[in-house]
Amino acid sequence: MHSFGYRANALLTFAITILALMCAMASLSDNLNSPTPSAEVLVLNINWFQKQPNGNDEVSMTLNISADLQSLFTWNTKQVFVFLAAEYETPKNSLNQISLWDGIIPSKEHSKFWIHTSNKYRFIDQGSNLRSKEFNLTLHWHVMPKTGKMFADKMDADP
Amino acid sequence: MDWQGQKLAEQLMQLLLLAFAVVAFATGYFIGSFQMMILIYAGGVILTSLITVPNWPFFNRHPLKWLDPSEDEKHPKPQHSVTSNSKKKSKK
Amino acid sequence: MGWIGETVDSIKSIQIRQVLTQGVSLGMIVTSALIIWKALMCITGSESPVVVVLSGSMEPGFKRGDILFLHMSKDPIRAGEIVVFNVDGREIPIVHRVIKVHEREDTGEVDVLTKGDNNYGDDRLLYAQGQLWLQRHHIMGRAVGFLPYVGWVTIIMTEKPIIKYILIGALGLLVITSKE
Repeated sequence: MHSFGYRANALLTFAITILALMCAMASLSDNLNSPTPSAEVLVLNINWFQKQPNGNDEVSMTLNISADLQSLFTWNTKQVFVFLAAEYETPKNSLNQISLWDGIIPSKEHSKFWIHTSNKYRFIDQGSNLRSKEFNLTLHWHVMPKTGKMFADKMDADP
Repeated sequence: MDWQGQKLAEQLMQLLLLAFAVVAFATGYFIGSFQMMILIYAGGVILTSLITVPNWPFFNRHPLKWLDPSEDEKHPKPQHSVTSNSKKKSKK
Repeated sequence: MGWIGETVDSIKSIQIRQVLTQGVSLGMIVTSALIIWKALMCITGSESPVVVVLSGSMEPGFKRGDILFLHMSKDPIRAGEIVVFNVDGREIPIVHRVIKVHEREDTGEVDVLTKGDNNYGDDRLLYAQGQLWLQRHHIMGRAVGFLPYVGWVTIIMTEKPIIKYILIGALGLLVITSKE
């Protein structure tokens, strides 16, 4: 029973098993990386404020985001998805998270950036609680590996 | 492929694949390139399959030596156990 | 003639035994696959622990044919997580990222809005008519792990059923005819 097909089959099975092991090890090696990213976000201006017909508040503002995310990249990183979220509490909701801006960083070379933008997604509350509301700005990142486990974390981005 | 050849082929396959995996992982990790790891490993798999899958002549260096038919007649097959027992007894 | 009859009988009995063995080994393959699947369901707590990405709406993160491992835990859903959800009236689940979360103070229910990384707008157009938010029960799990390309096998098989039948037939033949 030691035929050509038998040997080819055994080789293929063994090769794929080892490949899976290598991918698992590559994914595990990401744990050795302890990133130290830094970010700063400034709200430069409140452009306008409106009450929608259904009673919800909406705000538009201009943001200045600067971040250095180079330490997030390892050899097993395909991309880093980064977004800025506004988090606040209202009497009705214990947590509101609204994404204001996001971006995809394809490589380490692009991971130190500076951007001047108005909010990309509409900042709408469920209700009318936004006037003179305090909210936290947090920068979240989501590391997408070439293979294996995905990592996510966040940091306070208020200056 | 003879028995020794089968053993050799099996051992070669496992050893080569493992060695290539280790080399590929180490290179990929230190260069920081996932693609390099995959390329080295793919090359290793192809090389290993070229070495161990076809029936190369060096897997056939230990042919089995069967007894000649004429030789066979000189060593008669053991009969039923009962008769062999009786033979042993008779020898005593 | 008794000798011939005996031989025929022995051949017959061997064949029946062989057929039974092959049947059992085929059954073992099918059941072990099922066991693995069900075990994964138990561990991850998700209805379908492994999904194949079918659309390019999450590129360049997830391409068509990539495999995602899902996990369903009691943890609250937060912005930025990649969730798999089922919209009423749609059969195929969608894998997209959460961009807005509103969690109720009293009941702890969540309103969630999603968007594909590669899409221009959010997912309100994909939801059922008049639906503004996703609730907890729409969400089948969140993606925790990722494996590239492997899902192409299933995509090819669902789109070209002939290949599936050829493959199953060939495998079955191989199992039945192999003698060990």
